[in-house]
Amino acid sequence: MVHLTDYEKQMLDGQMGKFKQKAMQFIVRYAEVLGAEELCEVSRATLFIGAQHYLDCYPEDTDYKKIFSEFYLCSNEIVEFGKASSYCKTQTCAACCDLKEYERTHLSREFHERNRRYLEITKEMGVKIVDSCTPYYVGWVPMMGEHFVTTESSNVVISNTIFGACGNSDGVEAAVCAAITGRIPKWGMHVKENRYATCVFTLDFEVETQMEWDLLGFTLGRLLPKHEVPVIVNGLKNAEINRMRQLCASLSVTSAAEICHIVGLTPEAQTLEMALGGKKPKHEIRVTKKDMEESLAMLCDKGSGRIDFVSIGCPHISLDEIYEIALYVEGKKLPEGVELQIWTDYATKEMATVNGYAKLIEDTGAALLTGSCPIVMREDSHKHATAMVMFGAKQAFGIRHQTRVPVYYGEVFRCIDAAYNGRWEEGR
Amino acid sequence: MSTFKLKARGAYPGIAQGRAVVCPDSIAGNSGALGDTDGIIYEKGNVNYGVCIKDAILVVPCAKGSNGFSAHFKGAQIAGVRPAGWVSTRMDARLGVAVASMGIPAVADFAADENPVEKIKTGDWVVIDGTTGEVTITPKE
Repeated sequence: MVHLTDYEKQMLDGQMGKFKQKAMQFIVRYAEVLGAEELCEVSRATLFIGAQHYLDCYPEDTDYKKIFSEFYLCSNEIVEFGKASSYCKTQTCAACCDLKEYERTHLSREFHERNRRYLEITKEMGVKIVDSCTPYYVGWVPMMGEHFVTTESSNVVISNTIFGACGNSDGVEAAVCAAITGRIPKWGMHVKENRYATCVFTLDFEVETQMEWDLLGFTLGRLLPKHEVPVIVNGLKNAEINRMRQLCASLSVTSAAEICHIVGLTPEAQTLEMALGGKKPKHEIRVTKKDMEESLAMLCDKGSGRIDFVSIGCPHISLDEIYEIALYVEGKKLPEGVELQIWTDYATKEMATVNGYAKLIEDTGAALLTGSCPIVMREDSHKHATAMVMFGAKQAFGIRHQTRVPVYYGEVFRCIDAAYNGRWEEGR
Repeated sequence: MSTFKLKARGAYPGIAQGRAVVCPDSIAGNSGALGDTDGIIYEKGNVNYGVCIKDAILVVPCAKGSNGFSAHFKGAQIAGVRPAGWVSTRMDARLGVAVASMGIPAVADFAADENPVEKIKTGDWVVIDGTTGEVTITPKE
């Protein structure tokens, strides 16, 4: 039985309107499923909403009020739109398309306009259009101990691990209802005792480049026993937010991990003892180079060959990385028929434009795009490709659910080279 | 082998039955891993690749992958291809949202020596009581 405060009971009783009542009914039902005993206040949220493809189950002309009521509020009764919690700072997560460039990404104008129409409705609720899966680059930064919800799995791991904030991988319906009520079950990562590491990873090698960090996250996720909390004790060189982003994103592809302590680097793991909470680990795993090679084989197809579709920016990349890419590609030209997509968020693209980086990239024939990625845009955006090159691991692995063409994966600048050469060369 | 029972926490009330689809490494929540409108598992490497979840009792250790996990199962439900119920070794947030959102019976949080992913085989006939937490398994002939 979930214990509710008087405020929460009033919301559940409908005293704050049917919109909030329905959302609170879902939050309470979710708490009961989890076995949570109480709720906690949520002050930050990102929502994977808009005309996302999970809504393909509805005919295109379905009223969004019906969709919102049924899908997100889990209500058979159609309710009027209301407002999100004024205490919860809420914005959109990754979008199903770039807010402007629908033709360049092979999507229809109708789909693009439907997405915009949905986002305008939720904007009126108080959900800001940001369309980013790396919201920490543009100011969505929860403090240590702050409770958040996010529909981006890598952002769950980043926010728990680096910021010491508290959140679970709840899912879209819970995130929407949490943003409306300002409440989420106090369970899992919201409770300190569940955040201690239970599985110690020791590396037989060092990781240094962005791809190595990315590949390590994918590998740890494969090796992590189910339901355990990882801590890494050694082997990480050149730690910085962009590498951490890759590690956290790929870890959450192959596992259900929501936090990844790193001894001496992350706030709840200044020592191994601190990360473990004074307890003995349940598992101690040595990670070998062979484990990393097995991961690489899962992400990069064998052989060399012509390629015509390259995507960089999973998760969405930072201004620093756009700068480096702009300098690298300046003066080059993409071969006819080859696409190079580089994904970031709108705010970062605007900064890239102001600084001239966007022009350097676009002048080569590449596209600096915002808010989405091939996986989320789904098959319509990439079904014409005959061979693909993807960075990072989340994209290179996830796209395989949607395509049968060869998919290659490697260091960022190797992927970029492949675009300008129109070829992937094995082993280089 | 004759009918046997497992017992755990009833996570969502109600009784459901169907053929078990056992996914020892779960089902990825990433876009495209589960067909949103046909309920077919398209996740590369999944032991049940190509299997439709409609009317099945899904047996998983937990959820995994994208936080979109629940949304893809909810989409399948609205499209008319939902599973009959869930059996999960442990409950987690991704799966919890899917269970609460779909409102179908679920049993979770099994004792270590009663791991349903090991005890139940794909094709077994499974009856779950989401109120009492009782799971009754009749092995496939």
